[in-house]
Amino acid sequence: MTTEELERDLRTLAEPREADDRLRLAIRTRLGEQMLVRPRRRPRPWVGFGWAAGVAAAIAVAIVSLGWPGGSGGPSAADAAIIRHALRAIALPANAIVHVKETGAQNGTPVAAEWWQQTSSPYALRMIKSSGGLDVESADDGTTSFRYDPGTNTLVEKPASSAPALVDPIARVREQLARGDAQVAGKTTIDGTALYKIKLPTGVIGYFDTTNYRPVYLDNPQRDGSVVRTRVVTYEELPMTTDNAKLLSVTAQHPDARVSTNAGGGPVK
Amino acid sequence: MEVRAIREAPTLRAREVDPDAALVAAAREEPRMFLALYDRYFERVLGYARLRIRDVATCEDVTSTVFTTALAQLGRFRGDGSFAGWLFQIARNAVRDVHRRPTVEPLPLDAAGTEPDVEEQFLARERVARLRAVVCLLPAEQQHLLALRYGAGLAYDEIGSIVGASPGTVRVRMHRILEELRRRYPHDD
Repeated sequence: MTTEELERDLRTLAEPREADDRLRLAIRTRLGEQMLVRPRRRPRPWVGFGWAAGVAAAIAVAIVSLGWPGGSGGPSAADAAIIRHALRAIALPANAIVHVKETGAQNGTPVAAEWWQQTSSPYALRMIKSSGGLDVESADDGTTSFRYDPGTNTLVEKPASSAPALVDPIARVREQLARGDAQVAGKTTIDGTALYKIKLPTGVIGYFDTTNYRPVYLDNPQRDGSVVRTRVVTYEELPMTTDNAKLLSVTAQHPDARVSTNAGGGPVK
Repeated sequence: MEVRAIREAPTLRAREVDPDAALVAAAREEPRMFLALYDRYFERVLGYARLRIRDVATCEDVTSTVFTTALAQLGRFRGDGSFAGWLFQIARNAVRDVHRRPTVEPLPLDAAGTEPDVEEQFLARERVARLRAVVCLLPAEQQHLLALRYGAGLAYDEIGSIVGASPGTVRVRMHRILEELRRRYPHDD
């Protein structure tokens, strides 16, 4: 038998089964119960001992029944809740596609970047960068890197040296929110949208929609003291359907493009 | 920062960053966030268990044990390696515990069994039994690699980060294991 047939049989042994969803729910329920009795990592010293147990129980019930992440009462607790909501709003589900589009300006030139990236291995991605009316489209499916040249309708492909990791534009915001030292700096309104202002550890100010906690603007301090604002035009998670999977593929987007192999050339950029 | 991200967009690689790091940090702060990690790894851990354990109920028990242990021990995960590596080490230990128990798993060459199961829809019973039996005869380290690849569906570089080897080394080891399996598991349909 061939190696491919052997690999197929091995995969068959581990194939998903009908009862898996039931098992998934059962374990999830068990984890939820475990969370109820798991002590919180940061006890809040300002909570009086006499009613702390009652508050903790109420929070625990809320965690399970409402999905609310944590405590309430003091300003710091409220800020922590905002940060947790913001982090949750951009936490990526598995086996999906994250789609992000950002716009901004560099040296007075309008720029934009649009990403589609798989949230599970092999983290395939496609992106389009636009600057001054010039689009650069590239992709990586984990084994092959692609660059699309619209001028000649050509796809230049090259074997990828390694699979991509999650590098969507919001990845760094996720990391910084998760570090635990982001600070809520109040609320503001920009273009009619109410926003939470959160200062990230690197000095970037993020503005998060108060209704869905998704990032809307990012203020990036520059070395010369100026601030460049990036607008997150789109942030969405798409299910991994057949049609949506085509968003990850530059060949699917340009089915009539000529394919050129860049075997001996430099990296695809 | 994000302006720089736009400028550096063609630099697709960020392999040194654990893709789960943000979620792990969030789960430490707020346990409920662990469910996102659970959703991300449920199928992989279950697949891993299925390749290493024949008994359906034991597979499910192991999968449950892996995640309840991970949730309970998350505070001890230091982040030296990847979360996936840490999680699959828990899975490996859980499987080892099962194999240490007498009579839970049938002896490898007994694997033909008599209970009907879903696999019959895909493979003849004898073929499944033979493959399982052959896999069970491999050294535990090789079973671990096979389960990471064909049970959990991990890429070579992901396996490499878990077992502390380069993707190339993993590929070579896997090739040898498959050759060994092919010798022991001839396809005689």
